[in-house]
Amino acid sequence: MIPSPAFPQLMRRRPRAAAASGSVGPSRTGPRRRLPTVGGVAVVAVAVAVLVPAAAVALQAVTPRDAQWYDALARILSSGRTWRVVAATVAQAAVSCALTVVVGVPVAWVLERYRFRGRSAVRVLATVPFVLPSVVVAAAIAAVLGPSGLVDARGTWWPILAAHLCFNLAVVVRTVGAALAALDPDLEPSARLLGAGPVSAALRVQLPAVVPAVAAAAVVVFLFCLTSFGVIVVLGGGATTTVEVEIWTRATRQFDLPGAGVLAVLQLVAVVATLSVHAAITRRGHGTTKERGGAGRRPAGAGDRAAVLLAVALVLVISLVPLLAVLDRSFLSAGRRTVTNWTHLGSATAGTGLSVSPLDAVAASLRAAGVAAALAVGVAVAAVRAVARRPGGPADRVLLLPLGVSATTLGLGLLLVAGRPPLDLRRSWWLVPVAQALVAIPLVVRVVLPSLRGLPGSMLDAAALLGAGPRARWWRVELPMLRRALGAGAALAVIACLGEFGATVFVARTTDPTMPVAIERLMSRPGGAGFGQAMALSCLLVLVCAAVISLVDRWARSGDGEALTF
Amino acid sequence: MSSQRAPQRTAHRPLRGAGRRLGRVGAAVAALAVVSTLAACGDGAGGEEDTSEPAGEAADRVVLVTYDSFALPEAAAEEFEERTGAAIEVVARGDAGTTLATALLSAGSPEGDVIFGIDNTLATRALSEDLLDPLPEGVVDGVPERYRLDGEAGERLAPVDTGQVCVMADTEWYAERDLAPPSGFEDLADPAYADQLVVSSPVTSSPGLAFLLGTIDRYGEDGWLDYWQRLEDNGVRVRPSWDDAYNTDYTVSGGDRPAVLSYGSSPPAEVVFSEGERTEPASTVLEETCVEQVEYAGVLAGAPNPQLAAELVEFMLEPAWQSELPLTNFVFPVTDVELPEEFRRWATTADEPLGLDPDRIDAGREDWVEAWREQME
Repeated sequence: MIPSPAFPQLMRRRPRAAAASGSVGPSRTGPRRRLPTVGGVAVVAVAVAVLVPAAAVALQAVTPRDAQWYDALARILSSGRTWRVVAATVAQAAVSCALTVVVGVPVAWVLERYRFRGRSAVRVLATVPFVLPSVVVAAAIAAVLGPSGLVDARGTWWPILAAHLCFNLAVVVRTVGAALAALDPDLEPSARLLGAGPVSAALRVQLPAVVPAVAAAAVVVFLFCLTSFGVIVVLGGGATTTVEVEIWTRATRQFDLPGAGVLAVLQLVAVVATLSVHAAITRRGHGTTKERGGAGRRPAGAGDRAAVLLAVALVLVISLVPLLAVLDRSFLSAGRRTVTNWTHLGSATAGTGLSVSPLDAVAASLRAAGVAAALAVGVAVAAVRAVARRPGGPADRVLLLPLGVSATTLGLGLLLVAGRPPLDLRRSWWLVPVAQALVAIPLVVRVVLPSLRGLPGSMLDAAALLGAGPRARWWRVELPMLRRALGAGAALAVIACLGEFGATVFVARTTDPTMPVAIERLMSRPGGAGFGQAMALSCLLVLVCAAVISLVDRWARSGDGEALTF
Repeated sequence: MSSQRAPQRTAHRPLRGAGRRLGRVGAAVAALAVVSTLAACGDGAGGEEDTSEPAGEAADRVVLVTYDSFALPEAAAEEFEERTGAAIEVVARGDAGTTLATALLSAGSPEGDVIFGIDNTLATRALSEDLLDPLPEGVVDGVPERYRLDGEAGERLAPVDTGQVCVMADTEWYAERDLAPPSGFEDLADPAYADQLVVSSPVTSSPGLAFLLGTIDRYGEDGWLDYWQRLEDNGVRVRPSWDDAYNTDYTVSGGDRPAVLSYGSSPPAEVVFSEGERTEPASTVLEETCVEQVEYAGVLAGAPNPQLAAELVEFMLEPAWQSELPLTNFVFPVTDVELPEEFRRWATTADEPLGLDPDRIDAGREDWVEAWREQME
């Protein structure tokens, strides 16, 4: 599953007031058949593209190899090992989640409460790992906690927990930070006036007010860790495994498709359960909301300064150190300082586990991500009105589907479906972009949706009054006003597609790997020449993503402000 | 969570300006789509040219799908290219098990023409999913009967090389400690040799699976799991691949485990790869643990170049290829060619290696692996 900076908004229902005054008010009357048709086709296409592969995987669970239809079910469900893996999956997700909340909430509090030089840089820094491909974050942690790092912790859960913390810190910092920013600024002074100390005011007044946001962020982090794939494949070293990785192992190592099918269904149940919890939490809504102007005050006194220092240090250690380690290791080969990892990127190197040149992978990635992002934006533009018209309706649910189905399930399913005669798509280049686009569509929709809902109805009424038909209103009034959100959505889609690993690893051909797939292949050869090249390739991927993220942040901050707020 | 914020500022911008800006963004998105589609189309077309040659025109390459530790016998490959005009391109994606599973997932729409590296532990699995086309008749006639498969498997899989999977011990490590190296299965489970063995996983690696079958042959279907329990109690380490076990964990490669699951042909490899530093192998093979392994090649169904594919499989059994195998891949040829000096001196082969017959492997493999995972992971 590809995490999305916009994810925590996913299950948020449209407030009733907004529904009444929304842009899509006069839509039930008049000759508006054409637009819904385009949107309808897009929605149906997404539904088919997700549900058919998912069903194909689930069907495997009841397709026997020799005897009874329930053979695989009985075999997997009666195995003690299955439940050990399930327990380990849930446990690591819970621990990662707890760790992230414990670190993230204080950091968010400091970043909102105090104004200091470099604050926005620290905030961006905390967000960077989250938009990086999971494989790169894993490579970064491997550089710190791997064979050539500070401590060699391979084969334990520690690197995985560290990677999850690094990856998900942004979810907590951004979500809780936004909630803190939305608190009534008079809340804390009032509490202090009434005799509460600074700590007591924070713990007993401010914190309870943002509990829903903390809970929502925690559930999202839990979900990401539950379906985490790239991180565990790269850092688990085959010894530590989760349900998601086990699906992959069974399908691509043992060719045990029935077993993979059973586990995919188990995973689906877990994901849907987590999503329902998230929906229940976010439905309750959040505390008082009043915009605060110039947020934060200057740190005064030793206590304040210590708090700021600690928060900044945490972010630096968690987010920056691993990235610097990747850069450092990219100039290290067989214990020597060298640039060969970089200079050899253009050619396939024997013994690295990769039979094409890493630069070919860069080209393949850019190509696939470009097509996929264009596809995702196209579908989102066509479908977003259908979603806005009926929040929580069928279209809304369908466009969330790709997030409910785990990436490995989607990838395996696409591979199974694409191989069915008469339409064998496995050799066509379309499969990778389609898989990536499916993963990106929910992100684009969620980024565009709040802006579409926020459009003032008066504008459309005026346009209608001036004689603009529905199509003209959509193309010439609504879409132009959504340009920022669309730009942000497109950029996010590119990032998500560039980093997509779980589905891509199934459908990408060995001769045409994307960057994350190539990095995993390079990393899978321990101590080999591949490690340094994996680091160099990771740096390249970071550079590309950094360029896009700075663009997104600019869009978001200057405009609608929601793209990167959780 | 932040509140729903209405983008008032945006909304009240003059429409024309907004329209112009949309024009820019829209144009950018459209350009992105067009450019990447064109790029992809160009590539797709290129890919098509590469993989499916138009009939009547000789292809300039044949793609060999195999595991990633395979080393192409370069001289033989050149000879093949001279003869047919087609270069051999190697496509690798992980170890033998992964290679086969990936091939099965893309059965009928293969990533290459020939698959090599399916061994006797996995051979029967390769017959599912219509993965392979029948070989031309008589291809394997020159191969001794004992390496060939019966029935349908024999028509689709040609034995190319053979070897023995054996546990071996770091001779010097034990000598320095005045210890006798372990001599067989029982020693490996003996507390005197605790925390010394590293093996590769039967789930992901073919030597790992061969070793598992060896323990079944040695201890029987009732006793092999007990033996593994004793190994586990004795601190055996399981790594995903032979690479991890030998190149990272084995003391000879700088690791911390003086006993490793490898091949009977590893000792000559140690001498050859040391490039003169070693005059003697570093390892002693535990002959009692040796399990026979035969590797096969086959033509992938739906191969873009079926004719060349068949020619390549045939060529793999010719003296040029066969005699180059020992010093490139450290395996034994299946046909009667002369072995290099290093092999005659240092390769160890048990006279009666362990092993199960293919039917028994086929019937039990999945359950055994499942049982092994249940107990060991």
